[in-house]
Amino acid sequence: MNGTAAKLQVKQLSVGYGDRIVQHDVSFNVAAGSIFAIMGGSGCGKSTLLQSLIGLLRPSAGSVCFGTENYWSATEARRTQIGRRFGVLFQSGALWSSMTAAQNVALPLQMFTKFNAATIDALVQLKLSLVGLDVGRDSMPAGLSGGMVKRVGLARALALEPDMLFLDEPSAGLDPISAKRLDDLILDLCHGFGVTVVLVSHDLESLLNICDDGIFLDGNTSTAIAHGAPKALRANCDDPLVHAFMNREQPAVETVAHGG
Amino acid sequence: MTTLVGETSLATASALRGRTRMRSIDVLTCVQEAGLEALPIVTIVNVLVGAILAFVGVIELRKFGADVYIANLVAIAVLREMAALMTAIVMSGRTGGAYAAQIATMQGSEEIDALRSFGIPLLDYLILPRIVALISMMPILYLYGSAIGILGGFAVAVATLHISATIFMTQAAGAVTMAEVFFGLAKSVAFGALIAIAGCRVGLRAGRSAADVGHAATTAVVVGIVGVIALDAIFAVCANTLDF
Repeated sequence: MNGTAAKLQVKQLSVGYGDRIVQHDVSFNVAAGSIFAIMGGSGCGKSTLLQSLIGLLRPSAGSVCFGTENYWSATEARRTQIGRRFGVLFQSGALWSSMTAAQNVALPLQMFTKFNAATIDALVQLKLSLVGLDVGRDSMPAGLSGGMVKRVGLARALALEPDMLFLDEPSAGLDPISAKRLDDLILDLCHGFGVTVVLVSHDLESLLNICDDGIFLDGNTSTAIAHGAPKALRANCDDPLVHAFMNREQPAVETVAHGG
Repeated sequence: MTTLVGETSLATASALRGRTRMRSIDVLTCVQEAGLEALPIVTIVNVLVGAILAFVGVIELRKFGADVYIANLVAIAVLREMAALMTAIVMSGRTGGAYAAQIATMQGSEEIDALRSFGIPLLDYLILPRIVALISMMPILYLYGSAIGILGGFAVAVATLHISATIFMTQAAGAVTMAEVFFGLAKSVAFGALIAIAGCRVGLRAGRSAADVGHAATTAVVVGIVGVIALDAIFAVCANTLDF
């Protein structure tokens, strides 16, 4: 936590689909201006947990507080207002397929600001340049590479100047060079612009290189089994599953994940 | 369904008062898809229906030496019933299914999640443009389908039944009233709303796999066609009750 104020507080959160609980009793704090990792194997419920943090899935128990405000006990209108303070990069990029890259970034600005078309166009160019996308702004998503889709998705997530970013598997499907560029970009956003980042990933290199803190989810017990910076977990964690994950080893006891 | 209809009605009322986030570009795109691009199939179906009505109708009318009344039959049947119904069935298969498939695909690719995460109202961005497009295009397609349907009957009557063009036009003009045209227009608006709402609702409730997209499209078409026919029956009962 680095001694700084918590930007996001998650307390005893349980998430799932209907009667099926994917993760339960998950608690953690995310310090302002830090990069926080939600780690775990495939299917352990990382993305499901993220959905509850960004307002897409109501948790079955527990609370999610942005600052001092409990997100899920707020009115729908207030939740929408809170939601505008964060940007989300989805695992697939989730670009709106009927729009060009530039239009994807422009839509939130058109919807929620009163800027004129010229200003919006300039802001779109700025956001795309920020993520290193100087070509392809007029391409449709289907015509963009995986790395470009992620970059446009990130530019779109940054469109409304969020103070929190939620990234779902940002480097999944990217080549090592593109993944490194994306990691550098996340670090720049965090350290240069003070954006707080919560990222879901099982890309070990990214986790070790950029994250300040994190939790490790276990699909077998459906809860968080370790807290701490990825580097610290790699060096010190005694849990066999965490140790195996952080050191790319075969776990001592094979576990079967439950979550989605 | 009731919730969506209620929310859509409120959003439409807001839009009419000029308070909406619906983008005109989205409406225009939907209008083009539901209007201009639907013209060829609406033309084919309605001209054939008009021709079939003439062919079938004349068999009975000829028994009474009343061939000339084929113009009355075609005009009334097309304007009052067939143009609105057949156009709605075509639009249900073509546009209602497309709406469901588009929105279901957006579910699978997380595009809907992206809209929600930004707080962009799905109603304003996704649903209302489609409903507005269909509600505004259906009456136009109905009028066009009626004209084309009567033309189909006219062609058969003149070419094969040897009824003069002037007599056909005179008979047809005398047979229909503006009330029948307005009745058809009212039905076409109701059909348009039903098809659009059904398509959007099915799409929004779809799962996230490729199979779910196909299932959503099929369901929307079936719900649309059955709904349109059921609604048409309600219109018929109401018209009968009101002696219209």
